[in-house]
Amino acid sequence: MNRNRILSIAIITIILVASAEPALAYVLLSPRRRWATTPISVRTYNVGNSTITDGSGGVNAVVSAIRVWGIISSSSTSSAAVRGSAPATIMLNTNGGLCSGNCLAATLTGYYVTQAGDDRIYDADVYTNTAIQFYSSGEPGCSGEYDINGIMAHEVGHVIGIGHSNVSGATMYPSVSACNTANRTLATDDFNAVNDLY
Amino acid sequence: MVRRTLSLVTLMLVLSALPVAASQFIDMPFDRVAREANLVVRGTIGETWSAWDDAHEVIFTYATVRVNRYFGETTGPDTVIIREVGGTVDGYTQEAIGFPVIRRGENVVLMLSRWEDGADYRIHAFNQGKYLVRQRDGGEVLIADPFQQGDERMGRERGVRTQALDEAPGLGIEEFARMVDDARVGVGHDRGRNQQQ
Repeated sequence: MNRNRILSIAIITIILVASAEPALAYVLLSPRRRWATTPISVRTYNVGNSTITDGSGGVNAVVSAIRVWGIISSSSTSSAAVRGSAPATIMLNTNGGLCSGNCLAATLTGYYVTQAGDDRIYDADVYTNTAIQFYSSGEPGCSGEYDINGIMAHEVGHVIGIGHSNVSGATMYPSVSACNTANRTLATDDFNAVNDLY
Repeated sequence: MVRRTLSLVTLMLVLSALPVAASQFIDMPFDRVAREANLVVRGTIGETWSAWDDAHEVIFTYATVRVNRYFGETTGPDTVIIREVGGTVDGYTQEAIGFPVIRRGENVVLMLSRWEDGADYRIHAFNQGKYLVRQRDGGEVLIADPFQQGDERMGRERGVRTQALDEAPGLGIEEFARMVDDARVGVGHDRGRNQQQ
């Protein structure tokens, strides 16, 4: 078998393998939707999570962690989430009646469908399962707990209009394990998603 | 033993063959989901409707499920009403990203548990408690639902997932019934997948 034939077979094989799998890339929420203006105000309710022992119940860690998206105006607040009304609010101290059992955290987002195909997000609030053990970047170690920094970075991706990516290593990849802090840092795929929307 | 192993392998294929799109959930072993569920039913989604809760904070979607089979020792009425977070009222849509979607006309197997207020049922363990039923080779097989709230429902991604649905490995419904029976009497079928999805 000469070199050209080997090369041809290799190229065909690569094309077949590449075409057999869905493209690896971010996915936006559908219908496509985004906030009207940036920076997007996301507030973290200042009553923290009782399982996090960093002095603020994870509030300070989350306020800092979600800035990783670059288009977030992040602060803490003494006002709890009001569903259906902005600003987006992260609640570390309640499951909102939604996120129980095997749910770690959940984002409830609201929008009006328009004819333009470019809908506006009016509100998005994040709730946390208080029956789960979490830890933050403000704590020295981890023992079977879930990283609140990374989990909230992922949820805020939903808040701003991004769905799940099939790129392993992206913050918006739908899988995370206990004590895994990788989601604290955005991958190129995550940046591509946010740059697509805003 | 061999049958259990085959069941486990098939279930893992069913759960892993399609794009995983759950939000941040901890994956639960099949046995635990089946054991914790109040009802395990095979049925068809009938009428669906959405409404705000009393506090006008959350939109819920309700659905009637016409039940034609109960699994395990569970039994109940011919029609069960289920309620899930998310829906559209007066043009305003609320979605809980990654939560199950309820669609009229779907043939489904559902593992159901009561809401904390006990009023009605929800899908237990979110998407782990829902399977789509498909006819293949004269029998029914169960397939994991590739669509969840917030997912792409139009365009290229929908095509990919619909195609994946048609090609996905299925778990025979009688095998599923045996697995539920075993789970509810404490015979383990799997140890669950690692961590969460």
